[in-house]
Amino acid sequence: MSQSQSNFARLSSMIGRFEAIGIVAALLLLCVFLTLSVDTFATSYNMTVVIRQASFVGIIALGQTLVLLIGGIDLSVGAGAGLSAIFGALLLTSLGVHPYLVIPLTCLFGFALGTINGALVAYARLNPFIVTLASWEIFAGATLVITQGNPIRPLGPVFGWFGKGDIFGVPVPVLIFILLAIVLAFVLNRTRFGRNIYAIGGNRPAAVLVGIPVKRIEMLVFGLSGMLAALAGILYASRLDSGQPSVGEGWLMPAITASIIGGVSLRGGQGTISGTVAGALLMAVLGNGIVLLNISGYWQRVIVGVVVLVAILIDLLRRKR
Amino acid sequence: MTTGSSMLVSQLEVRNVSKTFGSVVALRDVSLTAKAGEVHAVIGENGAGKSTLMNIICGNHSVSSGEIRVDGKAVRFGSPMEAQHMGIAIAPQEILLAPALSVAENVMLGRQRATGGVVSWKATRAEAIRHLQALDPDIDPDARAGDVTVAQQQLVQIARATATGARLLIFDEPTAALTLKESARLFDFIKRFRSEGGLILYISHRLGEILELSDRITVLRDGRFVTELDPAKTSKDEMIQAMAGREVADLDLRHQIPAKISDEIVLKVEGLSRRDEFDNISFDLKRGEILAIGGLIGSGRSEMARCLFGDKPRDAGRVEVFGKVENFSAPADAIRAGLVYLPEERKHDGIFPQLSVAENIAMPNLGAFANWTGISWLKVVGAAEEYIRSIPIKVNSPHQLISNLSGGNQQKAILSRWLMSHCRILILDEPTRGIDVNAKREIQKLLRELAQGGLSVVYISSELQEIIDVSDRVVLMHEGKVRGIVPTEGATQESLLAVAMS
Repeated sequence: MSQSQSNFARLSSMIGRFEAIGIVAALLLLCVFLTLSVDTFATSYNMTVVIRQASFVGIIALGQTLVLLIGGIDLSVGAGAGLSAIFGALLLTSLGVHPYLVIPLTCLFGFALGTINGALVAYARLNPFIVTLASWEIFAGATLVITQGNPIRPLGPVFGWFGKGDIFGVPVPVLIFILLAIVLAFVLNRTRFGRNIYAIGGNRPAAVLVGIPVKRIEMLVFGLSGMLAALAGILYASRLDSGQPSVGEGWLMPAITASIIGGVSLRGGQGTISGTVAGALLMAVLGNGIVLLNISGYWQRVIVGVVVLVAILIDLLRRKR
Repeated sequence: MTTGSSMLVSQLEVRNVSKTFGSVVALRDVSLTAKAGEVHAVIGENGAGKSTLMNIICGNHSVSSGEIRVDGKAVRFGSPMEAQHMGIAIAPQEILLAPALSVAENVMLGRQRATGGVVSWKATRAEAIRHLQALDPDIDPDARAGDVTVAQQQLVQIARATATGARLLIFDEPTAALTLKESARLFDFIKRFRSEGGLILYISHRLGEILELSDRITVLRDGRFVTELDPAKTSKDEMIQAMAGREVADLDLRHQIPAKISDEIVLKVEGLSRRDEFDNISFDLKRGEILAIGGLIGSGRSEMARCLFGDKPRDAGRVEVFGKVENFSAPADAIRAGLVYLPEERKHDGIFPQLSVAENIAMPNLGAFANWTGISWLKVVGAAEEYIRSIPIKVNSPHQLISNLSGGNQQKAILSRWLMSHCRILILDEPTRGIDVNAKREIQKLLRELAQGGLSVVYISSELQEIIDVSDRVVLMHEGKVRGIVPTEGATQESLLAVAMS
C-alpha cells in the first residue's frame, strides 16, 4: 500500500512536470504511427482535412477552456453551435442579410445565449453543470422546433468562402482558429481580465476579497463560450452550404477532452491555450486515424470515451501531486 | 464494533523515524515514548514536523526509515483503518465532515451499527449521542453537520475519533476553533480519558493549555527531536526558546516601537448593525493607531469587519472613511477608498494556491503593470521582489507557487498585496493564527513599524496577550455587542476579560 502510494506520487509528479511535453509527444507518436501504417495520412489533402476538422472543435474548446478555468463547465456548446448555425442560416436565407454581416450577428446571438447561462451561474449561483445541461436540451430542442428537422439551404457561394475557402492554401476556419488562439493566449497571460479568470478558478472567495468583479467575469466567460460555439457552428454551416439541425452534435465531448488532455484542470485555475490547441489537434488526428485505418465509425465513440477517462485520470494525478 | 481492553495501548514508541516527501525532509531521526495514562504534548513551530509525525502514527503516511512500536511490537500501518484496529485514532485539525449528513451520522461514519448489513439508525444514533454527550451536551445530534458552528464541527470530529473505541487519541490543534467553555469541557474529557488509562498525543500552539494538561512535552524543530520538557518545571519562555532555537526578543512591541498617533480620525463607525451577527457597534480609528478588536470566536468581529469592507451589507449604522460617509457595496469600492481586509481563513479566502508568489502579491494591482502590450511580468516580479526583500518573505524564487510556502510566509505575501496597493486602513482578521512564533513576531513588528509610518490598523484577535503586546487600544466585543473600549497601556489579560464579560 505504502509502496504503491509512493509510486503513485512519483508517477503524478512525472506527469505534472511533463504534461505539456507529454501531449505534444503523444501527438507526434500518433502522427508517426499513422504515417507508417497508412499511405494517405501524410498527404497535403489529408492534412488539410485534419486541421480543418481540428479547427471547428478547437474553436469550441477555446471557449470551453475559459469556462473550465473559472471552475465551471459548459455542456451546451454543441447545441448552442447548432442553434446559432440555424439562426445564421435564417438571417441569410429568409431575411437576406449580407453574408459578411451574418457571421458577427451570429456571434452576438451566441454570446447572448451564453450570457443567459452565465447569469444563472454567476448571479443565481446555480450549478453550471445543471444549468448548461438544461440549456443544452433547450437549444437542441429549439433547433428542431424551428427547422422541423429540415436543413436550410443553399447558403450561397459568397457565404461558403468562410467554411470552404482558403488563403494561400490554408483553410479559412483554420486561420480563424489560429488567430483566436493567439488572441486568447494573450488575453489569458497578459491582461488583467485573463489573470482574474485564473484567480477566480483558483480561489473564488479570495478573488471576491481582492476586489475582482467575480460575477461579471463569470457571466462574460460563459458569454464568450457561447460566442465561440456560435462561430464554430456558423463556419461549419458555411462549409456544408447548409444550416443542418445536426450541426454541433458530438462536438461537446471532443471539446472538453481537448481541454483536459491539454492540461486544463476540471477544478479550475489551471491550464493553457497552447495545451488546448495541442489537445484539439490530437483529437482530430485520432478521429482521422480511425477513419483511415478502416476502424468502424462505431468504435470512434468508444475510443473517445477511453481517451476522456485517461484524461480525467491524468487530471487526478496532477491534483494529487 | 469492538471496544474495551483488547485495544488497550499501554506504550507507544517512535524509534528513529525519518520521513521524506520527494526531496523535502519532513522528519529526521525522531524518537519519543509515550505511556498509557499520560497526555504527551508535541510542540514546535509550523513546519517542525508535528503533523507529519501524527500522520505516521495514525497510518496516513508510511515511514521512510525507523519504526513505530505499539506495546513493544513493531507495526506498519498501511491505512488509518489498520491503525484504528490497533486502537489508534486521530481528530485532525482540518474539518473533514460530510456536511449534508447529520451530526450523529458523521460521528458514526464507517461504523454505523448494523445487523446483517442493514443499518439500525436507532442504535447508531444512540451510540453517537453517547460520544457527543461526553464532549458537549449542547450539540444537536440531528442537525446537519454543515449547519453547526465550526467549534461544534471540531467536536464532532473528536467524537468520531473517540467512537472508534481507540485507546490512543491524537489531537491536532483541537482548541483552535473552540470557545473557552468548550475548551474547558474538552480538557475535562481528556483528563477523564487519561485517568481511565488512555494515552493522548496532543498538538497545540497554545502553550498555556499544554502546561495545564500535559504530563510530558516533546519539542520538535525543523523535523528533528530537540528536547523533552517536564511541564511541572518548564515555562512558556523555555518552551518558546526550545521551539525557536534561539532567544526570542522581548515581547513588548508596543514600547519598543512607540505609536505616533495623530488626531485625525480615519474611520468612524456609528451604530453599525447586522441582524443576528453584531449590534450597534461604534468606534473611532485614528491615523497611525493600532486598534484591536478582542473577544471570543463567534462574537461577530469577522462579520463586522467584512461589513466594513463591503463584502456584506449592513442593516443599520453609519461609516465615515477619511471624513466621507461611505456605504461600500463591494470590496472593490473599499479598496479604492484605501480600506482593505485580510481574511481570517488564509487558505480558504486569501491565497491563490495555483499562482506564483509574485502574482499573489500583485493580484489587486495587475492593471498598474499593464500597457497596450499587456501586463509586463518583468515589472510585476520586480515590484513583488521589493516586498519579498523588505518584509522579508522567505522564498526560493518569486515564481514559486505560494502554496509551497509556510503559513507565516503566505500571510506576509498577502499582507504585501495590500501594502503594494497603498492601503491606508488595514483590517486584519486573526493575522497570526496558525503561524509559528517567529513569523508571528515579525508580522507584529512590521505592523508596529507601518503604523508608525501612518498606517491605521484594525487588529482582530482572540488572544488577549497578543492584543496587549501589539495594539494601542482595544474594542472588546461579546455576543455581537461592544462591551468596552480601553487603552492597552497597563491592561492585563484578566482586566480585559473582565471588561469583555461585563
